[in-house]
Amino acid sequence: MREDNEDTERNLIQQYARRAIERPESAYRVLLYVVTAFFLLASLFPFYWLFVIAVTPNRSIVDMGLLPKGFHPSVFVEVFETIPFHIYMLNSAIIATLTTIVVLFVGSIAGYVFGRYDFPGRTPLLLVVLVISYFPGVAFLIPIFQLFTANIEFLGVQSPMLYNTPWSIVMPLSALTMPLIIFLLSTFYAQIPDGLEDAARIEGSTRLGALVRIIIPLSAPGFATAGILSFIIVYNEFFFSYLMVSGTGDWSPILHGIFQFQGSQQVAYDLMAAASIIGVVPMAILVMVAQDYIVSGLTQGALKE
Amino acid sequence: MDTRRPSYRLDLVVLDRIERLSETQFVYLMLLPVLLVLGSMAIWPLLYTANLSLHADNVLSPDLVGGFVGLQNYIDLLTGRANPILRRPFFDLSRPFRSAVPVTLLFTLGAVVMETILGFAMALVLDQRFRGRRFARVAMILPWAVPIVIQGMIFYLMFQPSIGFAVGPLNDLGLISASPLANSQDALLISILADIWKQSAFMALLILAGLQSIDRSLYEVAKVEGASRLQRFRTITFPLVLPALLVALLFRTIAALKVYGVVETVASCNTVPTVSCLVVTTWNAHRYGSAAAIAFLVAIAIGLLLLIYLVQFRGEEGGGLGV
Repeated sequence: MREDNEDTERNLIQQYARRAIERPESAYRVLLYVVTAFFLLASLFPFYWLFVIAVTPNRSIVDMGLLPKGFHPSVFVEVFETIPFHIYMLNSAIIATLTTIVVLFVGSIAGYVFGRYDFPGRTPLLLVVLVISYFPGVAFLIPIFQLFTANIEFLGVQSPMLYNTPWSIVMPLSALTMPLIIFLLSTFYAQIPDGLEDAARIEGSTRLGALVRIIIPLSAPGFATAGILSFIIVYNEFFFSYLMVSGTGDWSPILHGIFQFQGSQQVAYDLMAAASIIGVVPMAILVMVAQDYIVSGLTQGALKE
Repeated sequence: MDTRRPSYRLDLVVLDRIERLSETQFVYLMLLPVLLVLGSMAIWPLLYTANLSLHADNVLSPDLVGGFVGLQNYIDLLTGRANPILRRPFFDLSRPFRSAVPVTLLFTLGAVVMETILGFAMALVLDQRFRGRRFARVAMILPWAVPIVIQGMIFYLMFQPSIGFAVGPLNDLGLISASPLANSQDALLISILADIWKQSAFMALLILAGLQSIDRSLYEVAKVEGASRLQRFRTITFPLVLPALLVALLFRTIAALKVYGVVETVASCNTVPTVSCLVVTTWNAHRYGSAAAIAFLVAIAIGLLLLIYLVQFRGEEGGGLGV
């Protein structure tokens, strides 16, 4: 029996080999599937690992193998019972939304101007925008921290105490996300034919009228891409989200929620893993729904920069 | 001005004024919001940091910094004289895994090289037509969309000695120590691994854009001429995708030089002291002058890198950062 099996196996391999030599395309096909499988495994395995840790009861989390020890799905409810994790998630969503609104509003005007007008100072200004996007977050940290802890005086006015509020994260991140969005939208606006705007102007539309009636409706896809990208970038951000709130205030984003489980006595590994899975869910949904926007946005915005 | 025009339609008056502006005036009016945001949240902070970096540290009195010292902070950092006052040395070759500059460079080199290779391979896969391609694309993009804190948490949970499945076997093989997250060298390696997991997809997407802009008829011509798959790759794919690859490389290099979040979550800034980490720990120690000087040195290094790139590839079609 066994020999038979080996025989057929050998035959199968020989068959594959012969076919591969005769038709290299099919061998190539096999290679493609192997490589794809490797990438899928590498991308998805870490999520599986989170799941393993999450459903294993915390006291059993010792010397884990690749399978969960026990099954304890109620951990996903416990996350919300232990700390108000939904508040942290909501905070992250609010911060990301506010930043996206600011970036889209301000960035789209700038993108429109850079994309459709040629004016003195255009190249130096674009260069400044580009250079800003390359500075490390730490180069902005000290003054922005001073500013938002009411330690800066300007024209006799004390700066507001914004530390521990969403604005202390929204404002610096708006500025740092802005360059990417400007480059993305300016290429988008530049692709709209001049004729359309000119026609509207000849028909008696004002500058702003043409902008509102012609340009804005046509740029909806670019707008969507820019919005999704900036939402993802801000939701995932670490530096300012970590340092501009104390972590105990009411406005802490998701990362402080996850750090909460590193308790003083015992680390709740299962809760930490479960919270991480829950924290990824919004992004997973967004990527699934908006994958085409993300791909086109990243490639356009980045390559044009 | 027609004085009989009803003046309560303020919006019309404003629109009228905007209509009369010269084009340059109109443009700068439109740019006002962005100049305000970037000016207050980016340019002013940079100037402020630059100014701080020229002042002495002031640990004792409530003032932020002491007197003006010129470039002394920079000199102290670059000559190693500042090392004793920092949490970890800035540059100390006798302890490469404990000092900021070598750690950051090793991180950048390791992460970016691997991300380029894997990203290229991933892009080649995603460029093919096969069943389930959309699913494969979502699965491969997903790591890029994961919050940095969760990325760090995943690798922390994998390599935490008492729980992670990877520590035992790898330790038996002698590849890592028994408590890798407390060992600077191992923790650096794990941070690089975490970065590769998340950022290869970003690299792949940028390279994919380059691949998809290649004119497919070139391949047909090459096929007719009898070029093998490898020849086609060497003579068509690689040279044509190179500009996109270089941009992706530049992006990732710059981001890797700024790394902070992953190392802080996977291990800690004390175990893997990258330059950004060192700025934060120095800032926490109230040494604002030194912290600002380190931050600015990072910025200068990145600026130089960008300059080299711009000069090297200026005017090259599609490859330059065509501003």
